[in-house]
Amino acid sequence: MGTGTGEVAAFRNVSKSYGRVKAVNGLDLVLRPGETVALLGPNGAGKSSSLDLLLGLREPDSGTVELFGGTPREAITAGRVGAMLQSGGLMSDVKVRELVALACKVHPKGHAPDEVLRTAGITEIADRRVDKLSGGQEQRVRFALAVAGANDLIVLDEPTTGMDVSVRRQFWAAMRAQADAGRTVLFATHYLEEADSIADRVLVLHKGRLIADGSSAEIKAKAGARRIGFELHPSDGGALDEALLRALPGTVGLDVSTRADGVHTVRIRSTDADAGVAALYKAGLYPRGLEVTTLGLEQAFLTITGEKDKDDEEAEASAR
Amino acid sequence: MTTLIKLEILRTLRNKRYLMFTVLYPALLYVFFISAYGSGGTVAGGVSVKSYFMVSMATFGAVGAVLTGSAQRISLERKSGWTRQLRLTALPGRAYTLGKIASCAVTTLPAIAVVFVIGAIEGVDLTAVQWLGLAAALWLGSFVFAALGVALGYAAQPDAVQPVVMIVYMLMALFGGTWFPVGDSLKTYARFNPVYDYNQLASFIHGQSVAGSAIAALAGFLALFTAAAAYLYRKDAQQA
Repeated sequence: MGTGTGEVAAFRNVSKSYGRVKAVNGLDLVLRPGETVALLGPNGAGKSSSLDLLLGLREPDSGTVELFGGTPREAITAGRVGAMLQSGGLMSDVKVRELVALACKVHPKGHAPDEVLRTAGITEIADRRVDKLSGGQEQRVRFALAVAGANDLIVLDEPTTGMDVSVRRQFWAAMRAQADAGRTVLFATHYLEEADSIADRVLVLHKGRLIADGSSAEIKAKAGARRIGFELHPSDGGALDEALLRALPGTVGLDVSTRADGVHTVRIRSTDADAGVAALYKAGLYPRGLEVTTLGLEQAFLTITGEKDKDDEEAEASAR
Repeated sequence: MTTLIKLEILRTLRNKRYLMFTVLYPALLYVFFISAYGSGGTVAGGVSVKSYFMVSMATFGAVGAVLTGSAQRISLERKSGWTRQLRLTALPGRAYTLGKIASCAVTTLPAIAVVFVIGAIEGVDLTAVQWLGLAAALWLGSFVFAALGVALGYAAQPDAVQPVVMIVYMLMALFGGTWFPVGDSLKTYARFNPVYDYNQLASFIHGQSVAGSAIAALAGFLALFTAAAAYLYRKDAQQA
Protein backbone atom coordinates (compact mmCIF):
# COMPACT_ATOMS: atom_id res chain seq x y z
CA MET A 1 0.00 0.00 0.00
CA GLY A 2 0.99 3.64 -0.30
CA THR A 3 2.68 5.70 2.33
CA GLY A 4 -0.71 6.98 3.43
CA THR A 5 -0.19 10.34 1.79
CA GLY A 6 -2.55 9.46 -1.03
CA GLU A 7 0.15 9.51 -3.67
CA VAL A 8 -0.37 7.37 -6.71
CA ALA A 9 2.98 8.19 -8.23
CA ALA A 10 5.85 10.44 -7.32
CA PHE A 11 8.93 11.64 -9.14
CA ARG A 12 11.43 13.15 -6.76
CA ASN A 13 14.15 15.15 -8.45
CA VAL A 14 14.51 12.54 -11.17
CA SER A 15 17.09 12.89 -13.92
CA LYS A 16 17.98 10.58 -16.78
CA SER A 17 20.48 11.12 -19.56
CA TYR A 18 21.23 9.21 -22.71
CA GLY A 19 24.81 10.01 -23.54
CA ARG A 20 24.97 13.80 -23.41
CA VAL A 21 21.25 14.33 -23.89
CA LYS A 22 19.32 15.06 -20.71
CA ALA A 23 16.02 13.34 -21.45
CA VAL A 24 14.59 14.04 -18.00
CA ASN A 25 16.00 16.88 -15.94
CA GLY A 26 15.16 17.23 -12.25
CA LEU A 27 11.55 16.15 -12.53
CA ASP A 28 9.41 16.65 -9.41
CA LEU A 29 5.86 15.49 -9.69
CA VAL A 30 3.09 13.86 -7.68
CA LEU A 31 -0.04 12.19 -9.08
CA ARG A 32 -3.04 11.89 -6.78
CA PRO A 33 -5.84 9.31 -6.83
CA GLY A 34 -8.62 9.80 -9.33
CA GLU A 35 -6.87 12.41 -11.44
CA THR A 36 -6.93 12.31 -15.22
CA VAL A 37 -3.63 13.82 -16.22
CA ALA A 38 -2.38 14.76 -19.67
CA LEU A 39 1.34 14.89 -20.35
CA LEU A 40 2.08 17.34 -23.12
CA GLY A 41 5.27 18.21 -24.84
CA PRO A 42 6.85 18.43 -28.27
CA ASN A 43 8.69 15.40 -29.64
CA GLY A 44 11.82 14.81 -27.63
CA ALA A 45 10.47 16.64 -24.58
CA GLY A 46 10.98 13.54 -22.44
CA LYS A 47 7.42 12.22 -22.33
CA SER A 48 8.21 8.62 -23.21
CA SER A 49 11.35 8.64 -21.09
CA SER A 50 9.35 9.87 -18.10
CA LEU A 51 6.78 7.12 -18.60
CA ASP A 52 9.56 4.51 -18.93
CA LEU A 53 10.96 5.69 -15.59
CA LEU A 54 7.52 5.71 -14.01
CA LEU A 55 6.97 2.09 -15.06
CA GLY A 56 10.44 0.96 -14.04
CA LEU A 57 11.46 0.06 -17.59
CA ARG A 58 14.48 2.25 -17.02
CA GLU A 59 16.34 3.31 -13.91
CA PRO A 60 16.86 7.01 -13.18
CA ASP A 61 20.45 8.32 -12.98
CA SER A 62 19.47 10.26 -9.87
CA GLY A 63 16.34 10.83 -7.80
CA THR A 64 13.62 8.33 -7.03
CA VAL A 65 10.42 7.16 -8.68
CA GLU A 66 7.67 5.73 -6.52
CA LEU A 67 4.42 4.06 -7.44
CA PHE A 68 1.94 3.58 -4.60
CA GLY A 69 4.75 4.16 -2.13
CA GLY A 70 6.93 1.35 -3.49
CA THR A 71 9.02 0.60 -6.52
CA PRO A 72 7.37 0.52 -9.95
CA ARG A 73 8.05 -3.21 -10.20
CA GLU A 74 6.27 -3.88 -6.89
CA ALA A 75 3.24 -1.92 -8.09
CA ILE A 76 3.16 -3.89 -11.35
CA THR A 77 3.53 -7.22 -9.56
CA ALA A 78 0.65 -6.25 -7.25
CA GLY A 79 -1.52 -5.57 -10.31
CA ARG A 80 -2.02 -1.89 -9.60
CA VAL A 81 -0.74 -0.49 -12.88
CA GLY A 82 -1.78 -1.08 -16.46
CA ALA A 83 0.10 0.50 -19.32
CA MET A 84 -0.10 0.96 -23.02
CA LEU A 85 3.19 1.94 -24.58
CA GLN A 86 3.86 3.40 -27.97
CA SER A 87 6.64 0.89 -28.37
CA GLY A 88 4.75 -2.01 -26.80
CA GLY A 89 4.63 -4.81 -29.34
CA LEU A 90 2.19 -7.66 -29.51
CA MET A 91 2.74 -11.39 -29.72
CA SER A 92 2.46 -12.72 -33.27
CA ASP A 93 0.84 -15.95 -34.48
CA VAL A 94 -1.91 -15.76 -31.85
CA LYS A 95 -5.52 -14.64 -31.93
CA VAL A 96 -6.64 -11.42 -30.27
CA ARG A 97 -8.75 -13.43 -27.83
CA GLU A 98 -5.80 -15.63 -26.82
CA LEU A 99 -3.59 -12.63 -26.19
CA VAL A 100 -6.23 -10.84 -24.12
CA ALA A 101 -6.89 -14.05 -22.17
CA LEU A 102 -3.16 -14.27 -21.42
CA ALA A 103 -3.14 -10.69 -20.11
CA CYS A 104 -6.19 -11.38 -17.91
CA LYS A 105 -4.71 -14.61 -16.62
CA VAL A 106 -1.36 -13.17 -15.56
CA HIS A 107 -2.93 -10.12 -13.94
CA PRO A 108 -3.29 -10.58 -10.14
CA LYS A 109 -6.72 -8.93 -10.32
CA GLY A 110 -7.61 -9.91 -13.86
CA HIS A 111 -11.04 -9.39 -15.42
CA ALA A 112 -12.88 -11.93 -17.56
CA PRO A 113 -11.46 -11.85 -21.12
CA ASP A 114 -14.90 -11.31 -22.70
CA GLU A 115 -15.46 -8.26 -20.54
CA VAL A 116 -12.08 -6.80 -21.49
CA LEU A 117 -12.73 -7.43 -25.19
CA ARG A 118 -15.99 -5.52 -24.81
CA THR A 119 -14.41 -2.65 -22.88
CA ALA A 120 -11.79 -2.18 -25.57
CA GLY A 121 -14.37 -2.54 -28.34
CA ILE A 122 -12.61 -5.47 -30.00
CA THR A 123 -15.18 -8.25 -29.58
CA GLU A 124 -15.70 -8.38 -33.38
CA ILE A 125 -12.01 -8.91 -34.08
CA ALA A 126 -11.43 -11.37 -31.21
CA ASP A 127 -10.82 -14.30 -33.57
CA ARG A 128 -8.44 -12.48 -35.88
CA ARG A 129 -4.74 -13.09 -35.83
CA VAL A 130 -2.85 -10.31 -34.08
CA ASP A 131 -0.46 -9.93 -37.01
CA LYS A 132 -3.35 -9.21 -39.40
CA LEU A 133 -4.69 -6.07 -37.68
CA SER A 134 -4.68 -2.45 -38.78
CA GLY A 135 -2.79 0.16 -36.79
CA GLY A 136 -5.92 1.43 -35.05
CA GLN A 137 -7.04 -2.11 -34.18
CA GLU A 138 -3.60 -2.88 -32.77
CA GLN A 139 -3.89 0.20 -30.57
CA ARG A 140 -7.18 -1.09 -29.18
CA VAL A 141 -5.64 -4.48 -28.45
CA ARG A 142 -2.85 -2.68 -26.59
CA PHE A 143 -5.50 -0.78 -24.68
CA ALA A 144 -7.18 -4.09 -23.80
CA LEU A 145 -3.87 -5.31 -22.35
CA ALA A 146 -3.69 -2.14 -20.23
CA VAL A 147 -7.18 -2.67 -18.78
CA ALA A 148 -7.03 -6.48 -18.42
CA GLY A 149 -7.28 -6.19 -14.63
CA ALA A 150 -8.52 -3.89 -11.90
CA ASN A 151 -5.64 -1.41 -12.01
CA ASP A 152 -5.54 1.71 -9.87
CA LEU A 153 -3.41 3.58 -12.39
CA ILE A 154 -3.53 3.43 -16.17
CA VAL A 155 -0.66 4.85 -18.17
CA LEU A 156 -1.06 5.51 -21.88
CA ASP A 157 1.59 6.78 -24.26
CA GLU A 158 0.02 8.48 -27.29
CA PRO A 159 -2.88 6.05 -27.23
CA THR A 160 -4.89 7.33 -30.19
CA THR A 161 -2.07 7.31 -32.75
CA GLY A 162 -3.34 5.56 -35.85
CA MET A 163 -7.02 5.66 -34.86
CA ASP A 164 -9.53 7.39 -37.10
CA VAL A 165 -11.86 10.01 -35.66
CA SER A 166 -14.84 7.82 -34.76
CA VAL A 167 -12.65 5.14 -33.18
CA ARG A 168 -10.82 7.85 -31.28
CA ARG A 169 -14.10 9.09 -29.86
CA GLN A 170 -15.06 5.55 -28.82
CA PHE A 171 -11.66 5.12 -27.27
CA TRP A 172 -11.96 8.22 -25.11
CA ALA A 173 -15.42 7.17 -24.00
CA ALA A 174 -13.90 3.89 -22.77
CA MET A 175 -11.09 5.84 -21.15
CA ARG A 176 -13.50 8.18 -19.39
CA ALA A 177 -15.36 5.16 -18.02
CA GLN A 178 -12.09 4.03 -16.47
CA ALA A 179 -11.59 7.46 -14.90
CA ASP A 180 -15.19 7.53 -13.65
CA ALA A 181 -14.57 4.19 -11.95
CA GLY A 182 -12.08 6.07 -9.77
CA ARG A 183 -8.89 5.11 -11.59
CA THR A 184 -6.03 7.48 -12.03
CA VAL A 185 -5.22 8.00 -15.68
CA LEU A 186 -1.99 9.43 -17.06
CA PHE A 187 -1.69 9.87 -20.79
CA ALA A 188 0.88 11.44 -23.05
CA THR A 189 -0.46 13.01 -26.19
CA HIS A 190 0.33 15.47 -28.90
CA TYR A 191 -3.33 16.03 -29.72
CA LEU A 192 -3.95 19.09 -27.62
CA GLU A 193 -7.70 18.96 -27.94
CA GLU A 194 -7.59 15.59 -26.18
CA ALA A 195 -5.76 17.13 -23.25
CA ASP A 196 -8.12 20.08 -23.28
CA SER A 197 -11.34 18.08 -23.24
CA ILE A 198 -10.39 15.03 -21.19
CA ALA A 199 -7.72 15.86 -18.64
CA ASP A 200 -8.43 17.63 -15.40
CA ARG A 201 -4.74 18.33 -15.03
CA VAL A 202 -2.23 19.15 -17.72
CA LEU A 203 1.53 18.79 -17.39
CA VAL A 204 3.77 20.47 -19.93
CA LEU A 205 7.20 18.96 -20.39
CA HIS A 206 9.91 20.75 -22.30
CA LYS A 207 13.48 19.56 -22.70
CA GLY A 208 13.03 17.14 -19.84
CA ARG A 209 11.68 19.73 -17.42
CA LEU A 210 8.18 20.33 -16.12
CA ILE A 211 7.38 23.90 -17.16
CA ALA A 212 3.66 24.02 -16.43
CA ASP A 213 1.30 22.07 -14.20
CA GLY A 214 -2.36 22.96 -13.80
CA SER A 215 -5.84 22.66 -15.25
CA SER A 216 -6.09 23.39 -18.94
CA ALA A 217 -7.77 26.73 -18.06
CA GLU A 218 -4.84 27.61 -15.84
CA ILE A 219 -2.33 26.71 -18.52
CA LYS A 220 -4.16 28.90 -20.98
CA ALA A 221 -4.26 31.75 -18.45
CA LYS A 222 -0.56 31.40 -17.85
CA ALA A 223 0.09 31.81 -21.53
CA GLY A 224 -2.18 34.82 -21.77
CA ALA A 225 -5.41 33.16 -22.63
CA ARG A 226 -6.98 35.80 -24.85
CA ARG A 227 -5.90 37.90 -27.72
CA ILE A 228 -7.13 41.48 -28.19
CA GLY A 229 -6.71 42.76 -31.71
CA PHE A 230 -7.55 46.19 -33.14
CA GLU A 231 -6.33 48.99 -35.40
CA LEU A 232 -5.44 52.56 -34.45
CA HIS A 233 -5.99 55.08 -37.22
CA PRO A 234 -4.02 58.40 -37.17
CA SER A 235 -7.19 60.22 -38.27
CA ASP A 236 -8.78 59.34 -34.93
CA GLY A 237 -6.09 61.36 -33.19
CA GLY A 238 -3.63 60.33 -30.54
CA ALA A 239 -0.11 59.00 -31.23
CA LEU A 240 0.82 55.38 -30.69
CA ASP A 241 2.02 54.94 -27.12
CA GLU A 242 3.48 51.45 -26.72
CA ALA A 243 4.24 52.02 -23.05
CA LEU A 244 0.58 52.70 -22.44
CA LEU A 245 -0.51 49.55 -24.25
CA ARG A 246 2.02 47.50 -22.35
CA ALA A 247 0.69 48.92 -19.08
CA LEU A 248 -2.89 47.80 -19.76
CA PRO A 249 -4.06 45.41 -17.03
CA GLY A 250 -3.43 41.76 -17.86
CA THR A 251 -1.10 42.36 -20.80
CA VAL A 252 1.54 39.65 -21.20
CA GLY A 253 2.47 40.20 -24.83
CA LEU A 254 2.33 43.06 -27.34
CA ASP A 255 2.80 43.10 -31.07
CA VAL A 256 2.41 46.28 -33.16
CA SER A 257 2.82 46.64 -36.90
CA THR A 258 2.41 49.86 -38.86
CA ARG A 259 1.24 50.21 -42.46
CA ALA A 260 2.49 52.85 -44.90
CA ASP A 261 -0.65 54.93 -44.39
CA GLY A 262 0.11 55.18 -40.67
CA VAL A 263 -2.49 52.65 -39.48
CA HIS A 264 -1.19 50.61 -36.55
CA THR A 265 -2.32 47.02 -36.11
CA VAL A 266 -2.10 46.02 -32.47
CA ARG A 267 -2.24 42.51 -30.99
CA ILE A 268 -2.22 42.04 -27.25
CA ARG A 269 -2.06 38.76 -25.37
CA SER A 270 -3.89 39.28 -22.11
CA THR A 271 -4.84 37.33 -19.01
CA ASP A 272 -7.64 39.82 -18.35
CA ALA A 273 -9.13 40.96 -21.62
CA ASP A 274 -12.17 42.63 -20.03
CA ALA A 275 -10.11 44.99 -17.91
CA GLY A 276 -7.68 45.55 -20.76
CA VAL A 277 -10.38 46.68 -23.18
CA ALA A 278 -12.06 48.91 -20.56
CA ALA A 279 -8.72 50.61 -19.86
CA LEU A 280 -8.17 51.08 -23.58
CA TYR A 281 -11.28 53.26 -23.84
CA LYS A 282 -10.55 55.01 -20.58
CA ALA A 283 -7.18 56.08 -22.02
CA GLY A 284 -9.09 57.88 -24.75
CA LEU A 285 -8.10 55.53 -27.58
CA TYR A 286 -10.45 54.55 -30.37
CA PRO A 287 -9.73 50.96 -31.27
CA ARG A 288 -11.22 50.00 -34.61
CA GLY A 289 -12.22 46.51 -35.65
CA LEU A 290 -11.83 45.32 -32.06
CA GLU A 291 -11.65 41.56 -31.65
CA VAL A 292 -11.21 39.50 -28.51
CA THR A 293 -10.42 35.83 -29.16
CA THR A 294 -9.65 32.89 -26.92
CA LEU A 295 -6.36 31.11 -27.39
CA GLY A 296 -6.62 27.34 -27.72
CA LEU A 297 -4.50 25.12 -25.55
CA GLU A 298 -2.35 24.59 -28.59
CA GLN A 299 -1.39 28.25 -28.86
CA ALA A 300 -1.01 28.43 -25.09
CA PHE A 301 1.32 25.47 -25.27
CA LEU A 302 3.39 26.99 -28.06
CA THR A 303 3.57 30.25 -26.16
CA ILE A 304 4.78 28.59 -22.97
CA THR A 305 7.40 26.42 -24.64
CA GLY A 306 8.47 29.33 -26.86
CA GLU A 307 8.96 31.61 -23.85
CA LYS A 308 10.91 28.90 -22.10
CA ASP A 309 13.23 28.66 -25.09
CA LYS A 310 13.72 32.43 -25.03
CA ASP A 311 14.47 32.39 -21.29
CA ASP A 312 16.97 29.61 -21.81
CA GLU A 313 18.72 31.50 -24.59
CA GLU A 314 18.90 34.65 -22.47
CA ALA A 315 20.23 32.73 -19.50
CA GLU A 316 22.84 31.17 -21.74
CA ALA A 317 23.77 34.52 -23.24
CA SER A 318 24.17 36.19 -19.84
CA ALA A 319 26.19 33.27 -18.58
CA ARG A 320 28.70 33.81 -21.36
CA MET B 1 3.47 -18.52 -16.29
CA THR B 2 2.08 -21.78 -17.64
CA THR B 3 -0.43 -19.78 -19.71
CA LEU B 4 2.40 -17.96 -21.43
CA ILE B 5 4.34 -21.18 -21.99
CA LYS B 6 1.28 -22.92 -23.47
CA LEU B 7 0.65 -20.02 -25.80
CA GLU B 8 4.31 -19.97 -26.87
CA ILE B 9 4.15 -23.65 -27.80
CA LEU B 10 0.87 -23.23 -29.63
CA ARG B 11 2.03 -20.34 -31.76
CA THR B 12 5.25 -22.09 -32.71
CA LEU B 13 3.39 -25.19 -33.89
CA ARG B 14 1.05 -22.91 -35.86
CA ASN B 15 3.88 -21.29 -37.71
CA LYS B 16 4.17 -22.85 -41.16
CA ARG B 17 7.77 -21.78 -41.66
CA TYR B 18 8.70 -23.80 -38.62
CA LEU B 19 7.15 -26.96 -40.07
CA MET B 20 8.84 -26.50 -43.43
CA PHE B 21 12.26 -25.67 -42.17
CA THR B 22 12.68 -27.89 -39.17
CA VAL B 23 10.51 -30.93 -39.84
CA LEU B 24 10.17 -31.39 -43.58
CA TYR B 25 13.60 -30.20 -44.66
CA PRO B 26 15.73 -32.63 -42.57
CA ALA B 27 13.37 -35.48 -43.48
CA LEU B 28 13.81 -34.79 -47.19
CA LEU B 29 17.57 -34.49 -46.79
CA TYR B 30 17.62 -37.81 -44.99
CA VAL B 31 15.84 -39.54 -47.86
CA PHE B 32 18.23 -37.85 -50.26
CA PHE B 33 21.34 -38.99 -48.37
CA ILE B 34 20.16 -42.58 -48.23
CA SER B 35 19.66 -42.71 -51.97
CA ALA B 36 22.90 -40.81 -52.69
CA TYR B 37 25.12 -43.00 -50.52
CA GLY B 38 23.13 -46.18 -51.20
CA SER B 39 20.94 -47.65 -48.52
CA GLY B 40 23.18 -50.63 -47.89
CA GLY B 41 26.39 -48.61 -47.60
CA THR B 42 28.50 -47.61 -44.66
CA VAL B 43 30.29 -44.38 -43.82
CA ALA B 44 33.83 -44.16 -42.44
CA GLY B 45 34.06 -46.15 -39.24
CA GLY B 46 31.71 -48.81 -40.46
CA VAL B 47 28.47 -47.21 -39.33
CA SER B 48 25.61 -47.76 -41.75
CA VAL B 49 24.50 -44.82 -43.86
CA LYS B 50 20.92 -45.22 -42.69
CA SER B 51 21.61 -44.92 -39.00
CA TYR B 52 24.41 -42.36 -39.35
CA PHE B 53 22.23 -39.91 -41.23
CA MET B 54 19.18 -40.69 -39.14
CA VAL B 55 21.05 -39.28 -36.17
CA SER B 56 22.68 -36.39 -38.00
CA MET B 57 19.41 -35.31 -39.62
CA ALA B 58 17.54 -35.57 -36.33
CA THR B 59 20.13 -33.34 -34.68
CA PHE B 60 20.10 -31.04 -37.71
CA GLY B 61 16.34 -30.61 -37.42
CA ALA B 62 16.44 -30.22 -33.66
CA VAL B 63 19.18 -27.59 -33.73
CA GLY B 64 17.34 -25.75 -36.50
CA ALA B 65 14.05 -25.83 -34.63
CA VAL B 66 15.64 -24.53 -31.49
CA LEU B 67 17.86 -21.84 -33.00
CA THR B 68 15.21 -20.30 -35.21
CA GLY B 69 12.52 -20.75 -32.58
CA SER B 70 14.44 -18.88 -29.92
CA ALA B 71 17.04 -16.58 -31.51
CA GLN B 72 14.92 -15.24 -34.31
CA ARG B 73 11.80 -14.76 -32.26
CA ILE B 74 13.51 -13.16 -29.31
CA SER B 75 15.30 -10.73 -31.55
CA LEU B 76 12.14 -9.81 -33.45
CA GLU B 77 10.10 -9.48 -30.27
CA ARG B 78 12.70 -7.22 -28.75
CA LYS B 79 12.31 -5.01 -31.78
CA SER B 80 8.52 -5.05 -31.80
CA GLY B 81 8.43 -4.20 -28.11
CA TRP B 82 6.60 -7.34 -27.00
CA THR B 83 9.33 -8.00 -24.44
CA ARG B 84 8.74 -4.50 -23.04
CA GLN B 85 5.01 -5.09 -22.91
CA LEU B 86 5.59 -8.32 -20.98
CA ARG B 87 7.69 -6.47 -18.45
CA LEU B 88 4.57 -4.45 -17.63
CA THR B 89 2.80 -7.58 -16.46
CA ALA B 90 3.14 -9.35 -13.14
CA LEU B 91 5.03 -12.17 -14.87
CA PRO B 92 8.59 -12.58 -13.60
CA GLY B 93 11.27 -11.65 -16.13
CA ARG B 94 12.44 -15.22 -16.55
CA ALA B 95 8.98 -16.38 -17.69
CA TYR B 96 9.58 -15.11 -21.21
CA THR B 97 12.87 -16.95 -21.63
CA LEU B 98 11.51 -20.07 -19.97
CA GLY B 99 8.53 -19.96 -22.34
CA LYS B 100 10.87 -19.81 -25.31
CA ILE B 101 12.98 -22.71 -24.06
CA ALA B 102 9.89 -24.77 -23.24
CA SER B 103 8.42 -24.23 -26.68
CA CYS B 104 11.79 -25.17 -28.17
CA ALA B 105 11.81 -28.35 -26.12
CA VAL B 106 8.41 -29.33 -27.46
CA THR B 107 9.13 -28.43 -31.04
CA THR B 108 12.27 -30.54 -31.28
CA LEU B 109 10.21 -33.66 -30.72
CA PRO B 110 8.46 -33.68 -34.13
CA ALA B 111 11.77 -32.94 -35.85
CA ILE B 112 13.37 -35.95 -34.17
CA ALA B 113 10.32 -38.21 -34.51
CA VAL B 114 9.80 -37.70 -38.24
CA VAL B 115 13.38 -38.68 -39.06
CA PHE B 116 13.16 -41.68 -36.70
CA VAL B 117 10.01 -42.91 -38.42
CA ILE B 118 11.70 -42.70 -41.82
CA GLY B 119 14.73 -44.49 -40.38
CA ALA B 120 12.60 -47.30 -39.01
CA ILE B 121 10.85 -47.69 -42.37
CA GLU B 122 14.21 -47.73 -44.14
CA GLY B 123 15.28 -50.54 -41.87
CA VAL B 124 17.33 -49.02 -39.06
CA ASP B 125 17.22 -51.80 -36.54
CA LEU B 126 17.36 -50.79 -32.90
CA THR B 127 15.95 -52.27 -29.73
CA ALA B 128 13.12 -50.45 -28.00
CA VAL B 129 15.52 -49.33 -25.27
CA GLN B 130 17.90 -47.95 -27.88
CA TRP B 131 15.13 -46.04 -29.67
CA LEU B 132 13.93 -44.49 -26.44
CA GLY B 133 17.43 -43.82 -25.16
CA LEU B 134 18.41 -42.15 -28.42
CA ALA B 135 15.28 -40.01 -28.49
CA ALA B 136 15.87 -38.96 -24.88
CA ALA B 137 19.55 -38.20 -25.49
CA LEU B 138 18.82 -36.09 -28.57
CA TRP B 139 15.95 -34.31 -26.83
CA LEU B 140 18.02 -33.44 -23.78
CA GLY B 141 20.95 -32.39 -25.94
CA SER B 142 18.77 -29.86 -27.75
CA PHE B 143 18.59 -27.73 -24.59
CA VAL B 144 22.22 -26.75 -25.17
CA PHE B 145 21.17 -25.14 -28.45
CA ALA B 146 18.08 -23.59 -26.92
CA ALA B 147 20.38 -21.72 -24.53
CA LEU B 148 22.60 -20.73 -27.46
CA GLY B 149 19.51 -19.49 -29.31
CA VAL B 150 18.43 -17.33 -26.39
CA ALA B 151 21.92 -15.82 -26.17
CA LEU B 152 22.00 -15.12 -29.92
CA GLY B 153 18.50 -13.63 -29.73
CA TYR B 154 19.67 -11.07 -27.20
CA ALA B 155 23.05 -10.50 -28.85
CA ALA B 156 22.05 -10.00 -32.48
CA GLN B 157 20.12 -7.07 -33.89
CA PRO B 158 16.81 -8.04 -35.54
CA ASP B 159 17.98 -7.29 -39.08
CA ALA B 160 21.13 -9.34 -38.56
CA VAL B 161 19.77 -12.26 -36.60
CA GLN B 162 18.76 -14.43 -39.55
CA PRO B 163 22.17 -14.45 -41.28
CA VAL B 164 23.95 -14.77 -37.93
CA VAL B 165 21.86 -17.79 -36.97
CA MET B 166 22.28 -19.39 -40.40
CA ILE B 167 26.06 -18.94 -40.41
CA VAL B 168 26.47 -20.33 -36.89
CA TYR B 169 24.11 -23.19 -37.71
CA MET B 170 25.75 -24.11 -41.02
CA LEU B 171 29.32 -23.88 -39.74
CA MET B 172 28.52 -26.08 -36.77
CA ALA B 173 26.74 -28.55 -39.05
CA LEU B 174 29.52 -28.53 -41.67
CA PHE B 175 32.26 -29.38 -39.16
CA GLY B 176 30.00 -31.34 -36.83
CA GLY B 177 29.40 -34.40 -38.99
CA THR B 178 25.91 -33.43 -40.13
CA TRP B 179 26.42 -33.94 -43.87
CA PHE B 180 29.53 -36.13 -43.81
CA PRO B 181 31.53 -37.77 -41.06
CA VAL B 182 34.25 -35.65 -39.53
CA GLY B 183 37.66 -36.74 -40.88
CA ASP B 184 40.43 -37.82 -38.51
CA SER B 185 42.45 -34.64 -39.12
CA LEU B 186 39.60 -32.47 -37.88
CA LYS B 187 38.56 -34.63 -34.95
CA THR B 188 40.98 -32.87 -32.59
CA TYR B 189 39.09 -29.64 -33.02
CA ALA B 190 35.64 -31.10 -33.50
CA ARG B 191 35.06 -31.62 -29.81
CA PHE B 192 34.91 -27.82 -29.49
CA ASN B 193 31.91 -27.92 -31.79
CA PRO B 194 28.67 -28.55 -29.89
CA VAL B 195 26.99 -30.12 -32.91
CA TYR B 196 29.77 -32.70 -33.17
CA ASP B 197 29.37 -33.55 -29.49
CA TYR B 198 25.63 -33.66 -29.98
CA ASN B 199 26.00 -36.21 -32.80
CA GLN B 200 28.39 -38.23 -30.63
CA LEU B 201 25.56 -38.77 -28.13
CA ALA B 202 24.33 -41.45 -30.53
CA SER B 203 27.55 -43.49 -30.43
CA PHE B 204 25.96 -46.10 -28.14
CA ILE B 205 23.65 -47.31 -30.91
CA HIS B 206 26.68 -48.00 -33.10
CA GLY B 207 27.99 -50.56 -30.68
CA GLN B 208 30.34 -48.11 -28.98
CA SER B 209 30.32 -47.05 -25.36
CA VAL B 210 28.31 -44.07 -24.16
CA ALA B 211 30.26 -40.97 -25.12
CA GLY B 212 31.16 -39.56 -21.71
CA SER B 213 33.44 -36.88 -23.12
CA ALA B 214 30.66 -35.62 -25.41
CA ILE B 215 28.26 -35.44 -22.46
CA ALA B 216 30.82 -33.51 -20.44
CA ALA B 217 31.49 -31.15 -23.34
CA LEU B 218 27.78 -30.52 -23.87
CA ALA B 219 27.31 -29.82 -20.17
CA GLY B 220 30.11 -27.29 -20.44
CA PHE B 221 28.51 -25.65 -23.47
CA LEU B 222 25.18 -25.55 -21.68
CA ALA B 223 26.72 -23.72 -18.72
CA LEU B 224 28.54 -21.32 -21.04
CA PHE B 225 25.51 -20.52 -23.21
CA THR B 226 23.21 -20.16 -20.21
CA ALA B 227 25.61 -17.71 -18.56
CA ALA B 228 25.88 -15.73 -21.80
CA ALA B 229 22.09 -15.72 -22.21
CA ALA B 230 21.55 -14.53 -18.63
CA TYR B 231 24.14 -11.77 -19.03
CA LEU B 232 22.73 -10.57 -22.35
CA TYR B 233 19.18 -10.72 -21.03
CA ARG B 234 20.06 -8.48 -18.10
CA LYS B 235 21.89 -6.06 -20.35
CA ASP B 236 18.86 -5.88 -22.61
CA ALA B 237 16.50 -5.23 -19.68
CA GLN B 238 18.57 -2.23 -18.63
CA GLN B 239 18.26 -0.74 -22.08
CA ALA B 240 14.52 -1.38 -22.00
